[in-house]
Amino acid sequence: MAATTDHEEHTDARASSPAPRRRGGGRIAAAVSVFGELLITAGLILGLFVAYSLWWTNVVADREADKQGDKVRDHWAEDRGPVGLDTKDGIGFLHVPAMKNGEVLVKKGTSTKSLNNGIAGYYTDPVKSALPQDKKGNFSLAAHRDGHGAKFHNIDKLKKGDAIVFETKDDWYVYKVYATLPETSKFNVKVLAPVPKESGTKKAGRYITLTTCTPVYTSRYRYVVWGELDRVEKVNDERTPPPELR
Amino acid sequence: MYGFIWRHLPGNTWIKALISLVLVLAAVYVLFQYVFPWAEPLLPFNDVTVDNQ
Repeated sequence: MAATTDHEEHTDARASSPAPRRRGGGRIAAAVSVFGELLITAGLILGLFVAYSLWWTNVVADREADKQGDKVRDHWAEDRGPVGLDTKDGIGFLHVPAMKNGEVLVKKGTSTKSLNNGIAGYYTDPVKSALPQDKKGNFSLAAHRDGHGAKFHNIDKLKKGDAIVFETKDDWYVYKVYATLPETSKFNVKVLAPVPKESGTKKAGRYITLTTCTPVYTSRYRYVVWGELDRVEKVNDERTPPPELR
Repeated sequence: MYGFIWRHLPGNTWIKALISLVLVLAAVYVLFQYVFPWAEPLLPFNDVTVDNQ
């Protein structure tokens, strides 16, 4: 206790006597302290940005994806006869058991704005994607690896033979993974080709291609997974999922 | 800077703390709602597609 009082008296005494000199030093000290506070503020803002990117965008995107997914399911349930393919609201749901992320709504287009809603998009550009019901072609999809729903976050968990199931109103399309490309250039649009040669295939078939960014938290490269159609199952009245999803 | 703001807030310590909290929350709201959504596409963290650009 005594020491503290002593100290306080000491500073008081010093503060009162050389007043002019202290004012000059005070200005520099104030500048340094403002600078320091700005640095702390910048650090806090960067920290908040990380929280925003990795957490908040997921919250917002999952909410939006649920809403849009419910809308598609409602349309299916209403069953308005054999209507044409509904590409506006979404064409179906992707189920990838190995990614452990439930169902992912698939819509047309891979614009940032639409992918930010926590969905997967099928390519319209630079290579137009085929659709699952097409006789031949490559059904190519993109989704976020981190943030905005992070629907393809666990794409690296996919191994050869794993199932990728695409659910439409009337059918379950069961694909099996047969090749992965853990790192490729973002300019490598050949991976989307109707016959993706890089996956080791040469003949036309019914393929599925998943693309996202890698390594996690950056988008320096792209990660690609290819699957080939194994079989198509009709959706029954209870919408019983195929064995791969049970 | 923060000291300056603190000294110019009205009221006693509790009221100042309350106003500070509101100001902090307002700042976070503006960042999450406007600043970050604007900044994010400018940063190279979230491009997932392959393309020719």
